[in-house]
Amino acid sequence: MKKITFVIELDRCIGCKGCQASCKMANGVALGNCRNPVKTVGPHGTYPDIQMYFMPAMCQQCENPSCVAVCPTGACYVNDEDGVILIDENLCIGCRSCEEACPYDCCSLNQERLIMDKCNICLSRRAEGEMPACVKNCSGSCLHVGDINDPESEVSRLLKEAGEENIYTLRDFGNHPSICYILKNEKWMDLLPQECRDTKRGKGCRS
Amino acid sequence: MNTGNLQQAIDISIDLTKEASAAVLKPGQKPAAQESGSIKKIHTACRACISNCGVIATVKDGRVINLEGDPEDPMSKGHMCAKGLTGLQALYNPNRNKYPMIRVGERGENKWKRLSWDEALTIIAKKLIEAKRDYGAESVLCSTGGGGNPEFWSIARFCNIFGTPNWFEPGCAQCYLPRMLIYTLMYGGADASIADSNAKEIYYPDSTEMKSLTLWGADPSYSSPAMGGAAVNDLRAHGVKTIVIDPRMTPDAAKADVWLPIRPGTDVALLMAWLRYIIETKAYKEDFVLRWTNLPYLVNTETKLFWRAKEGAGPGHPDTFMVWDKKTGRPQPLEYPWNEDYEVDLEGTYEVDGVVYKTGFTLLKERVADYTIEKAARICKLDPEMILKSVRTYLDNQPGGICIGVATDQSPNSTQAPMASCAIDILMGNVESPGALMQRFRDSGVFNVGYCVPPAPSKLPDSQLVKRLGGNEYKGLHMWMAAHAPTILHALETGEPYPIRVWLERSGNKLVNVADASRWAKASKNVPFIVHMYMYPTSFSCYADMLLPSEEWLETDMFQETCHKLIARQAVTHLWETVDETMIWSLIAKKCAELGDEECKKSLDAEYMGDDLPYWDSTIELLDKCLIKKDLTFEELKKHSPMPYISEEEYRSYYVYKEINPATGLPGGFATGSGKCEVYMENLITLSRTGKPFAHGVLPPASHDYDPLPFYIEPEESPMDAEGLAKDFPLVMTNGRLPFFHHGTLRNTPWTREMCPAPEVWIHPKDAEKYGIIDDEWVWVESKRGKVRGIASITSGIGEGTVYMERYWAPENLNTPTHGWQEMGVSVLARADAPYNEVVGTYTLRGYLVKVYPAPEGAPEGVWLEPKQFKAWLPNPTDPTPDMTKEVKA
Repeated sequence: MKKITFVIELDRCIGCKGCQASCKMANGVALGNCRNPVKTVGPHGTYPDIQMYFMPAMCQQCENPSCVAVCPTGACYVNDEDGVILIDENLCIGCRSCEEACPYDCCSLNQERLIMDKCNICLSRRAEGEMPACVKNCSGSCLHVGDINDPESEVSRLLKEAGEENIYTLRDFGNHPSICYILKNEKWMDLLPQECRDTKRGKGCRS
Repeated sequence: MNTGNLQQAIDISIDLTKEASAAVLKPGQKPAAQESGSIKKIHTACRACISNCGVIATVKDGRVINLEGDPEDPMSKGHMCAKGLTGLQALYNPNRNKYPMIRVGERGENKWKRLSWDEALTIIAKKLIEAKRDYGAESVLCSTGGGGNPEFWSIARFCNIFGTPNWFEPGCAQCYLPRMLIYTLMYGGADASIADSNAKEIYYPDSTEMKSLTLWGADPSYSSPAMGGAAVNDLRAHGVKTIVIDPRMTPDAAKADVWLPIRPGTDVALLMAWLRYIIETKAYKEDFVLRWTNLPYLVNTETKLFWRAKEGAGPGHPDTFMVWDKKTGRPQPLEYPWNEDYEVDLEGTYEVDGVVYKTGFTLLKERVADYTIEKAARICKLDPEMILKSVRTYLDNQPGGICIGVATDQSPNSTQAPMASCAIDILMGNVESPGALMQRFRDSGVFNVGYCVPPAPSKLPDSQLVKRLGGNEYKGLHMWMAAHAPTILHALETGEPYPIRVWLERSGNKLVNVADASRWAKASKNVPFIVHMYMYPTSFSCYADMLLPSEEWLETDMFQETCHKLIARQAVTHLWETVDETMIWSLIAKKCAELGDEECKKSLDAEYMGDDLPYWDSTIELLDKCLIKKDLTFEELKKHSPMPYISEEEYRSYYVYKEINPATGLPGGFATGSGKCEVYMENLITLSRTGKPFAHGVLPPASHDYDPLPFYIEPEESPMDAEGLAKDFPLVMTNGRLPFFHHGTLRNTPWTREMCPAPEVWIHPKDAEKYGIIDDEWVWVESKRGKVRGIASITSGIGEGTVYMERYWAPENLNTPTHGWQEMGVSVLARADAPYNEVVGTYTLRGYLVKVYPAPEGAPEGVWLEPKQFKAWLPNPTDPTPDMTKEVKA
């Protein structure tokens, strides 16, 4: 069965957040929402034994998605054609159940439209035969998207070349995240996106 | 005073004057009829920073609806960064300057009235002519910089033509000039700055022979993510070793094989230690150094000048220098390029007729003799083993190259850093060879020193040239025809040596980019007439009398080179009454001519102007006059952009110095006076005495000769002097780019601003503990010049004793007493006082002392931190836009 998802070469992510801006443009994402925050992992250690890497943290396209399981209206569903988890805007009531259920902090409420917002791997661009905007513009060429179940796909080839010992997923709570992170040059830190460094707004001024 | 933004006040003022624009739609009003349903994809080029990356803009009914990278651009290869993408919001920002405006209230009171362009130009021209008549043309000051779609030579050209020697930008001596000047004088080709689109070798990761890349105070992943950042990423993936010298753990530092978190302002000490190590271990390429540098030439130790046997016989025949021939045991004249009969001594001290001579090599060796790795470690606050590892990684992975970034330009040691880095690469033979960063690859030949506007230096009379503020002392500034920023500040403050009467300013907030901004703001009050031209109002607008609306890059016609291709930045839309900078200066000159200014009248005369071109009636006219050298028109280029002007193979011209000059039958050599790499920079002595080769006229000598070899000076505000200033201000400040902003730009665009709503203050965990700093809480950062606030970020990604902060302003506070620059602007803290670099007069933007302490007050009043607040700057969907895209490649 087809499963479109991301394979991300973390050794190539330069933390420039161009993907965040391109996502905003392509998907009209509201201010305050971000579908693909690039998290800073580290620095960890003491100089000179110190490391830091960057981790784009979008919807993990889980094989057993808790967001779909908890959605009371069926708005959040797995698209049979490609395995991508989507939110049907007409059915979503903005109840934030998926936000609570997602272990990776990848669904958030669009405060403008009062419905839930998350990465759908650029549904409309893919429909026009285009790559997702983040993949298209990525300065590090670290983002790759494709059918992870097709052994001939670019993403499968990348995983094969990387070697199993260099492939990581976010911590699995039984939801089986499908996004694969390739990391060779640093030690993988088992951190959830919400545990990593992010934009600072000063205490007492958080959105 | 209310906390609304400047543009709201402007619009109210417009209503009051009953001059509401036809371009402003009223509720219920429909935009002018346009051909609907037309969607075009247009190849253009970004100008959100200086990288000029290729962009494909999607335009629907004249309105830009999408931007993405252009894979046909050989440098950015289809990547596009947050700055460029946010160009959409910059273009449609509701606070754009829309029409010329004149102040009707007091300065800073923010009351304006709309003018026609003709009215505005007439007022400006009259003020200019009056100032010239009453105080001399030198009383007119022009300035640029600070990011945001500049055309640099436009301003130099206008000054040269009008007759004022005084323009400046906050960069120049503090950004890029030191490196460009030294590399030009030392070997005559492109410098090795990735952010300035040089070091073109890095764009060929599949075929380069490069084995190591040293990023010295350079962070391409942040300064130019889509272009240099992407290229360096590719090199790393191809196994190129990287060495990063940077106080801050940038992404490039994190991914480096060796990272040295150096104390800000001390880079030259480390570079001299590298030089010493390379000389002591004889790691240098001796044959290249003998044959192709001036280091074997004999220097008179009293005069510091070379011993010349005879003057050169014109172009292609350099002077003949004396060398020491070991075979005959005598000094011998070495006719260019070489004499196989000699056994030339590279190193030695010789007495001839009572005069002591040394080779350039010996003088260099003596100069760096003290700089052991241990000494550098003490000065730079680094681990000696890591220093050794850095230089070994460079030496064990040859060929390689040193990309020297802006960091070293920002302190008084500015020119000495590229003197050392360029010398290191030359000693290793990393010049014009495959894998080297220093190259003279072919170019299209359509530019005037990097830009298309001819700067017309010969039009400034000698009598005016000598009045250039700081120009006689800091003669390196003449390379850019620019004046010395601190000397200008002094003139603004005191009226000495003459008053400044008119200030025409084009930049992304001067008060965010100059050192000691408070002094500049206060001094501006002494200038009777100030014009600010920019795409939107900035803090500086609050100190101005007139605002002129300039074009965003998506409205601009221009062209650029990108490796072997020419790329058109083409206007894909146009808003309001904005005008491009290349035209604004032309319009001002023409209006001055119309009102009788003799110099400006001559600027319209094609015969008088010659290759400098008479002023143009349209940007296209100018572009066509440049492109004619390639038998192209701008219309044609637009259709085929990005368009190869040469094949990639021809473009990558290695070993240009070996190419035979048909006129002489000899190798052409390097583009220096001697045809050799001039590591011993006698040419700096010439520069200090005469202004040659840069100044267009005759200048009196500087107060002393510039030093021909690199040297290190401890920063004036030094943490090493524990009983001095460091007692109260114990930490060293550094700055550095973020990938969301270029200089002062993009703090007013929602996408970038929500990614970084306020400046972070990076501080090491041990320092945080010492000074009671808590992560993510507001802190005060204070120098002896002022204090500002930022948000603490406690991180081991910065060395102990160093703090990092980036320039910032709050556009939402323009209409408050702070005008948005005083709350969080690190420029308030920076040092404009002496000492200055001896060649170009650099002051201290990095490497001065501060203290950091908690700010229980929290965020500065009125500063927006919540994403929702930036909604006020989202595009207004009702602006009608003309379709500019009739004849473009679909």
